[in-house]
Amino acid sequence: MANRVAIVGIGQTFHKSKRPDVNQAEMANEAVRAALTDAQLEAKDIEAVVSANMEPFEGIYLPDHWMASEMAACGKSGFKVATGGTSGASGVIEGFHLVASGLVSTSLVVGFQKHDTSDTQAGMSACMTPVFGAGASTGAISEFANQALVYMEKSGAKEEHAAMVRLKADRGACRNPYAQLKLGLKGVEEILASGHLEWPIRILDFCPQSCGACALILASEDIARKISRKPVWIADTITVHQEPFRAGSFGDPTGRETYSQDVASRKLYKRNGITNPRKDIDIAEIYEPSTWEELMHYEHYHFCDENEGWKLIEKGMTEIGGEFPVNPSGGVLSTNPIGATPVIRVAEAALQIRGDAGEHQVTRDVKTAVATALGGCNWTTMILLRRSI
Amino acid sequence: MAERVGIVAVAQTKYHPNRADVNEGELVYEAIKQVLDETGLGYGDRGKGIDASIDCSQDMWDGRTISNLGVMSYVGAHLADEDKVCEDSINALYCAMARILSGHHDIVLVATHCKESQANKSIVENAAFDPIFLRLLGLDFLAAAAMQSTRYMHKYGITVEQCAKVAVKNRGNAKNNPFAQEPLDITIEDVLRSATLASPIRLLDSKPISDGACAMILARESQAKKLTKKPIWIMGASNCYETHYPGYRELADCDALVKAAKKAYSMAGITDPFKQINVAEISEEYSYQEMLWMEGLGLCQRGDAGKLIDTGVTKMGGQLPVNPCGGMLSGKPTVVAGMANVAEAVLQLRGEAGERQVPKAKVALAHGVTGICGQHQAVMILGHN
Amino acid sequence: MGKEPTQEYIQVQINTPRPYRWSTGKYLGKLYKEAKGHKKLVTNRCTKCKELVYPPQMVCGRCKVEAGQDWVEMSDKGTVVQYTYLIFPRWDPHLGEYYASPYPSATILLDSGLYLRSRLEEKDTQKLKRGMRVQAVWKEEGRGRGQDDIEYFRIIEEPEVDK
Repeated sequence: MANRVAIVGIGQTFHKSKRPDVNQAEMANEAVRAALTDAQLEAKDIEAVVSANMEPFEGIYLPDHWMASEMAACGKSGFKVATGGTSGASGVIEGFHLVASGLVSTSLVVGFQKHDTSDTQAGMSACMTPVFGAGASTGAISEFANQALVYMEKSGAKEEHAAMVRLKADRGACRNPYAQLKLGLKGVEEILASGHLEWPIRILDFCPQSCGACALILASEDIARKISRKPVWIADTITVHQEPFRAGSFGDPTGRETYSQDVASRKLYKRNGITNPRKDIDIAEIYEPSTWEELMHYEHYHFCDENEGWKLIEKGMTEIGGEFPVNPSGGVLSTNPIGATPVIRVAEAALQIRGDAGEHQVTRDVKTAVATALGGCNWTTMILLRRSI
Repeated sequence: MAERVGIVAVAQTKYHPNRADVNEGELVYEAIKQVLDETGLGYGDRGKGIDASIDCSQDMWDGRTISNLGVMSYVGAHLADEDKVCEDSINALYCAMARILSGHHDIVLVATHCKESQANKSIVENAAFDPIFLRLLGLDFLAAAAMQSTRYMHKYGITVEQCAKVAVKNRGNAKNNPFAQEPLDITIEDVLRSATLASPIRLLDSKPISDGACAMILARESQAKKLTKKPIWIMGASNCYETHYPGYRELADCDALVKAAKKAYSMAGITDPFKQINVAEISEEYSYQEMLWMEGLGLCQRGDAGKLIDTGVTKMGGQLPVNPCGGMLSGKPTVVAGMANVAEAVLQLRGEAGERQVPKAKVALAHGVTGICGQHQAVMILGHN
Repeated sequence: MGKEPTQEYIQVQINTPRPYRWSTGKYLGKLYKEAKGHKKLVTNRCTKCKELVYPPQMVCGRCKVEAGQDWVEMSDKGTVVQYTYLIFPRWDPHLGEYYASPYPSATILLDSGLYLRSRLEEKDTQKLKRGMRVQAVWKEEGRGRGQDDIEYFRIIEEPEVDK
């Protein structure tokens, strides 16, 4: 009999660019302990552990095996998943299905990544067909640059708008004790004064690489209602992958491509009675690897109409105190341990629903939240959370 | 009454030491094409076709980050649901099963591949050892297995002859399996005379390098009955981790397997495995493992698997044939082996196992193993009623 | 941005070369052979949707069926759809290296209808324009890497195309 599933425990590490004081297993353990403490559970209460990580970065085969004890997986069911940037979300989704199916009644989802131990060059370039690198010959930055140029031309967005996204992320990060990059930026001018890397991209347009882990404990309805005062219900999930764009890794100058974000959000909204996303959803934690990507996501997730994404940020509508807060946590632009990042999105969205986000809690009452992830060649996952179902 | 999960079609490629003629995607497509043709299914939303695909591959074996990029076109992932599990492929089936039992999916394609010929086995496996203490010892799974075998043989008096009997049985069984890579007519003496790889494991106690792929389609009961006349039901399934450091484990007792088997049997209503199971497909990377895993599966008491092999009850024609397909020893890639075992179990239960058919098989066991000395174990019980 | 740790931590350094031998399969293999041997780009056209499948592949990912063996030789001339150029070589967080190639990168629409992401020979950004006509300049010694055997695209004298 299918169960309804809630998040009953949330834990994350304090994300940093370097964590020489721990190895990866110990780092993940910090998040696991935090989640168990939050849920007021013990390791023995967990029945399955689903882990998520892009292991080629650290060069580890079967990292979940090395870390079995630290992730409370000994004697437990479970497995590891990996789908690129969306790995963490895939972890949450499979952890959800394990509990929803009744195969187990509690699951622990752990996403982790320790970039200070990784060979990033080897890891990223090895994504491409080992013998064929579409776009690799021009470098990842030029792919993002290409995307920004296409968006600027199509929508009329300006560099200021990308800068506003970074500013919003920084404001959120400065209020979020777990976030990594706390730059203390004073204004858009400061960002625009920083040099370009490749026209029109600045280094401030990118996410960092972090060392961090995030853990969630999922439980079936029976258990959730018994042990948690504030269970956060996973109302629905959706995964949509896609073939690479024809004319670039991230940008689409042809205007012909279908975006997985568009397909995913349409289906998710339809299934859940969401007709006006900015009204029916209270906040979004989205996976934005670059500032321009966030503006585009506003449109692709239908938070606004096509070509209007830059207007949302210009009007301050996606700020913490805004009409539709997006990434009040500081988002991926401030913190990006890849394997953990999608789990952090879900964790942050859940904290908002619980009212436990501390200084970066949004002003509007959060009953419904959506957490997204981005991976592979523009793959999307969306997880819909509700305070009550 | 909750709907069960049925397997409606299975396919394996013929296992081969070096499929240099195809890349990963083309290899897995050889299996996927067969299950698509057999069921006539396409990809689509719920109720209209395959509504999710679960891949299973290892980035470290494929030498490619996000290794499912190499197969996504072949599993119909464009604008569709896809995920990738990174353990032995029997766990991808477990994941797919959860997707259906959760009520969110109806028909799931599961596909796995591994081309061992493309990588250096020792270097890949060495990367599984904890990087702080164990990696620099230069161990791979063979060296670790040798330790486990030594411990197991010492604790329970298992002999090298008994290990050799496993190899002789499985290599001989492979002659009946059109998918097998390397059937051999060998004797116990042949095994004992073959070169020692890592004492006490000899060349013929271990499996050859292999390339291959496997695909199957799972469906919820109501759909399964429409898609095939012979759906095979997953009666029970579970998996389990053990601790990582070999020094902390009792290598002669596979606790993870005991736990996984217990849960799977409980789900399937199996109380006396040796009597109630008619055929077992077990992942034996090395000959001693077939015996060790049989004990973990509760097919006999701890330490008695050697005697079981001696009695011949696990041979073809015996009370409980183990590895009628020839097992991993006859050539089957890591990662793929677990799902391949389920595929064999399905063929047995459908009565489609040809010359390796176990007569009147009603309940089958399939087993998958991942990691150092079987740190991660998975069990699936299948039946056709 | 966080305090520097005051303690000296031991770090374990492991440098393991990881050799792999990948099979290209017949489709990608054909692209490589033609690029290396004849300085040509070829790919297959899906018999169902009639789009060029690139890189060439057995299955058309969008149609989810076998693409077939309708091979097309790409023209090596095209039109620049979009371009960008390096202003300051800085650390590329995604490639983990200093990105120092002086050549602008561009999205080029080949006359055969295929989009290619490649480099442009002309480093003077004032001379770059959308709609310029360009032609592939192949490396002297192709390594058999398909598109990567093209060094860059050179501007040619032809009427510009309205983009």
